[in-house]
Amino acid sequence: MKKIIMITPLIALITICSFVLIYILSERNPQKPPSSLINKNIPSFNIYNLYDENKTIKNSDLKNKYTLINFFASWCAPCKVEHHLFFKIKEDNPDLFILGINYKDNEIDAKDYLINEGNPYSFVGIDANGKIGLDFGVFGLPETFLINNKGEIIFKHIGPITEQIIYEQINPLL
Amino acid sequence: MSSLLGFIFLVLSVLLSFITIASEIYRKLEFKNFLIISRASTISILFSFLCLVYAFIISDFSNYNVFQNSHSDKPLIYKIAGAWGNHEGSILLWICTISLYGFFFSFQLNVEENFKRLTLAIQHTLYIFFSIFVILTSNPFLINSINVNQGLGLNPILQDPALAIHPPLLYFGYVGYSLVFSFAIAVLLKKNTNNHWVPIIKKWSLISWTFLTSGIALGSYWAYYELGWGGWWFWDPVENISLMPWIAGLALVHSLFMARGERILKKWIIFLSILCFSLSIFGTFLVRSGILTSVHSFATDASRGLFILLIFFLITGFGFLVFLIRAPENERPLDLMFINKTSALIINNVLMMIATITILLGTIYPIFIEILTNKRISVGGPYFNSTVIPILLPGFLLMSIAPILSWQSNKIKKTKLYVFSFLLLSIIILAQSYFTNFNTWGFLGILLGTWIIVASIIAIITSHKLVLSFKYLKNINAFIAHIGVGILILGITFSSIFKIENNFFIEEGEEMKLIDNTIIKFEEIKITNESNFQSLRALFLIKKNNKKTANIQAGKNYYFVSKTITTEAGIYHDWLKDIYIVLGNQEDNKWFLKIYINPLVSFIWIGIVIMIFAGIIGVIKK
Repeated sequence: MKKIIMITPLIALITICSFVLIYILSERNPQKPPSSLINKNIPSFNIYNLYDENKTIKNSDLKNKYTLINFFASWCAPCKVEHHLFFKIKEDNPDLFILGINYKDNEIDAKDYLINEGNPYSFVGIDANGKIGLDFGVFGLPETFLINNKGEIIFKHIGPITEQIIYEQINPLL
Repeated sequence: MSSLLGFIFLVLSVLLSFITIASEIYRKLEFKNFLIISRASTISILFSFLCLVYAFIISDFSNYNVFQNSHSDKPLIYKIAGAWGNHEGSILLWICTISLYGFFFSFQLNVEENFKRLTLAIQHTLYIFFSIFVILTSNPFLINSINVNQGLGLNPILQDPALAIHPPLLYFGYVGYSLVFSFAIAVLLKKNTNNHWVPIIKKWSLISWTFLTSGIALGSYWAYYELGWGGWWFWDPVENISLMPWIAGLALVHSLFMARGERILKKWIIFLSILCFSLSIFGTFLVRSGILTSVHSFATDASRGLFILLIFFLITGFGFLVFLIRAPENERPLDLMFINKTSALIINNVLMMIATITILLGTIYPIFIEILTNKRISVGGPYFNSTVIPILLPGFLLMSIAPILSWQSNKIKKTKLYVFSFLLLSIIILAQSYFTNFNTWGFLGILLGTWIIVASIIAIITSHKLVLSFKYLKNINAFIAHIGVGILILGITFSSIFKIENNFFIEEGEEMKLIDNTIIKFEEIKITNESNFQSLRALFLIKKNNKKTANIQAGKNYYFVSKTITTEAGIYHDWLKDIYIVLGNQEDNKWFLKIYINPLVSFIWIGIVIMIFAGIIGVIKK
């Protein structure tokens, strides 16, 4: 009887640790809930071009082609880290439409940023008040979405993308 | 440059710790040299930490951590505090603290040489575990891979003076238990027969407990006054995590009081010592791995979680295993009687353990459920309020009389006086609650709170003659601590049960009528630009009986760098009540306002300050 009581803390320890271990290994992360947008149609939007106010793009324009949407801003340092990789994606997939959405930024800074870092985007839209970002569930820049030819979101990544992500997750979908 | 130096000092300190441990195992070093190397390790890690602080002060953005968490426009104090306002820096502070406790312990008198060596070696082992964690997964000295001249800024919520002291105080509390743990393991390994270690472990556990109390209280105070969360306790996972070692530590302190002469519950004390530090590490793990959603979110990373889980498993498993194999025998059965001091303390310990386990279950239950059923749930206030509070109630009742109980007999001095005062008090409070606003929990809380205070005062007056000296203070210290708890209970009861919430939707210039002749006038909205944020403030004028009493402001801050908005509650503070105003959204020219009247919140802080004071007296007490 006495032994059993003495062993209890060890048993409790092992139980707790194993549950927590399973939890971590199953890669559940409450901070990153699975996007409810995956496999759904993209939210409807109508976005103005950074360089020309008369040019706009709507979600219906994105039908029948694959589109990569990247939310970025000049004030966002991790965006700078991933920026050059979009040139790589463009090189690998010349037909891919890359839509850059400039999020909560001011136009002059955004333009400067694209001059300094280069512009890999097929179209740069402005989302100055973050309304489009809200519809896409953006909560931390950068965020990247891949849309298939039916207009459904098939991939989403929060934070800077890496070469590994491009090869292992984005390219196989294209 | 400072990053490189910092890293070198960190590695040097780990190497010195290895030497300390090796010399304990192979017994090659003289005691004097052993102490020198052990202390040198601490000094080296302190230098390392200073290097990080320096990098923050000079805004050295070539350091990745500084770049991620600082900004050159920040006031100096937040630059310094920013050093531990992030995961990497705070873990560095954490290991600094482990080392510091060993450092101070190395000066402890009245410890046998062998015993001190062993304790320090165990402490250094703990230190090495955590410093390897820092070096491999959370290095604050990484070099920034891109060239920048500006940082990303400190989380605006953390830009507050309280941040500068809240985490360090907490860490001094949590980590203090590492020394208690090392000491307990040393006691087990040495199997020494005398009981000289009891007062030493008592002192160190009281120090940790006092720091932990101040840290938790400050966090609470900060949430209430600065963050405008509308309360001071939320049963948030991180709060629960700090509460568990706190309660276990309280049980430890109390059971150490039982250790008088030969009447000693060695096994239990050792068990609690191991448990306290285990709960501290478990808490660190839950927070840093990010597996529980909480208000304290750190940048998370699964590998970090696994690493701390491993450390937790090894340290706790080792502790309990040693405990299992080499548990000390109780020298003599306890003098348990129907109602003497020993039995009261045991009941108190059992209740505290049940409370700790209840909190632990509630905190990790969501993890179990998610694995077993794949559903995501959260356990919040209702669970904890309805389980933990009833468990603690009998403990509170017992505590009001516990200090006057006798060690050897069932008799209580002046029983009649106590029974009479208790009955009188019950009748008065029952009548008072019945004629005002009866609420069972409210009644119980007020009765218990006042009874603890009254009983303690009666005990002080009847059993100790008033002399203005430190000795007198020492003798009545237990009662002082309990009076603090009584005041705390009153504060908690009033501010939670008798709180009044009002909603208004008004324009500038209008007035609102609150209770008892208090009128609040919404004067105007003011927008100003500060160095790193824009502030929007609504100005209010509080009038009591048509006399102007105070001006308060409530509003929001918008931080440019991180583009976030923080809520700044306006609080009118009074000894008897707080008026708490939160500014909501604007619609046309009208604003939504929430106004709370929180009675007796100040009692919470007063109660805690008294408890901390008693803790300090307890530490100084020989």
